[in-house]
Amino acid sequence: MKLREIAYSRSGDKGDVSNICVFAYEEAHWETIRREVTVERVREVFGELVKGEIVRYELPGTSGLNFVMMQALAGGVSRSLRTDPHGKSYQSLILDMDIASPT
Amino acid sequence: MTRSISIGCGSAWSDDRLDWAQELADSGYVTYMGFDCLAERTMALAQTRRRNDETRGQDERIPELMDRFVNYLSSGGKVVGNFGAANPSAALDDVLRGLRSNDVSGVRVGVIYGDDVLDHVIDRNLELFELGVRALDLGEKLVSANAYVGADPIVDLLAEGCQFVLGGRIADPSLFVGPIAYEMGWATDDWDRMAAATLVGHLLECGTHGTGGNYVDPPYRALDDIVHLGFPMAHVNDHESVITKLPGTGGAVNSGVVKTQLAYEIHDPAAYLTPDSTADFSNVWVDEVGPDRVRVGGATGQPRPEELKVLVGVDEGWKVLTEISYGGSGCVDRAQLGAEVVARRLGPYESAISEVRYDLHGVSALFGDQLPRGEPAEVRLRIAARCQDREIADIVSFESQYLWMGPAGGGGIATQITPAISVTPAFLPRDDVKLWTEVIEK
Repeated sequence: MKLREIAYSRSGDKGDVSNICVFAYEEAHWETIRREVTVERVREVFGELVKGEIVRYELPGTSGLNFVMMQALAGGVSRSLRTDPHGKSYQSLILDMDIASPT
Repeated sequence: MTRSISIGCGSAWSDDRLDWAQELADSGYVTYMGFDCLAERTMALAQTRRRNDETRGQDERIPELMDRFVNYLSSGGKVVGNFGAANPSAALDDVLRGLRSNDVSGVRVGVIYGDDVLDHVIDRNLELFELGVRALDLGEKLVSANAYVGADPIVDLLAEGCQFVLGGRIADPSLFVGPIAYEMGWATDDWDRMAAATLVGHLLECGTHGTGGNYVDPPYRALDDIVHLGFPMAHVNDHESVITKLPGTGGAVNSGVVKTQLAYEIHDPAAYLTPDSTADFSNVWVDEVGPDRVRVGGATGQPRPEELKVLVGVDEGWKVLTEISYGGSGCVDRAQLGAEVVARRLGPYESAISEVRYDLHGVSALFGDQLPRGEPAEVRLRIAARCQDREIADIVSFESQYLWMGPAGGGGIATQITPAISVTPAFLPRDDVKLWTEVIEK
């Protein structure tokens, strides 16, 4: 199944750093998301788009994850020549991730 | 009597709409309106405008704002905004002109100066880590530097009776932290309270994103009405902070919307750095307490960072953008061939082009090869380049447009050349940034 079926997301930018949050619709899916959406899987999903380190943070108060991806925006919004220099659409790429169904 | 404040958001960026901001201001629900007018890109654009004309570089909506906010200001409503952008004194002129032309008197205007720190960036030859150079390496291409400044001078100006407070690169949440701290009597070195105020500011600063604008993704995230979104507002007292929006408007303030705004553009949730505090949002909770009403809390604070973030503006010459569409069978092959042809024709100028890229809209422009989906019905080739010299930019534009002459079936060419001013982050010791204020009454 797609992560999009149990989670939602939004991405933001600061310079060449993109951050993408992932929250569970249902509290019951929080553990599945924690288990499935690892740094390794996120790197796989983003591939060449992200040149630098990826760090995963947790927001336990709101059952959320926050991925901070360095050198992820081709130089950042004011330099990048990409179509989406902010990486606003990254939220949709992470939600396209295939995950194992919640048990 | 319990202290409280009701504060609305009137803008999330430099071209945000003012009609819905006016609706919230005129509704009577709020006594303060915070306007965030800046982003990294808009600050760079403002610097470009100021370079071309010393009287520009401020937010361009001030005349319209002053016309729309006559009733709000006349009834005592307060406004705080970073309308100054690259030119606070020009913003002040626009505000005073607007008050005069609308016959509004008795409004005290406070201006915050000093976020322009170009001299310090040069003196300290600051490291520009994203570019891998130091400030002086850029020579005359180093065009501006603005420090993100915090809520303290806002509190001071409100205490001096100012009804309209403006400045340059005031940090987004600080526009709300200032009024909250002032009205609640919270000390700006009370870190837990600064974090609580920063949480509210952070949840308001993105305007209609915070009321569902960036939330809708049917069928999973559907809202009844996203045509006429309401701007957000917060009611804060010593016991709670509630985020809501103007009743009768579309969008939503629910836990999902608030959570995505909570995590928006934060890095380590345990250390969200602003000029006002180091806020810990990791244990923030959200609680839906009614329709479009979400109570938030759980933020804690640590001392504010010793260094302030600075956005350094760099002149990178010109940016060229050209697009052309192909359709039907073989469209992707023809678009790729078109890109190859342009690249070959630009070969002799390669060393004068700082960067160039060729993207296929509808195929790989957003995610590269990460999301393959097969042959589309149509594709739009996008050629983007940056170069120092205008004449090279003209050549890139010409050669891109020459795709009119083939491969077959290319249509809908659009091209533009714009100045390329980029901004890059740096950090400056807080003590280097000396702010000063001015109060004028009209």
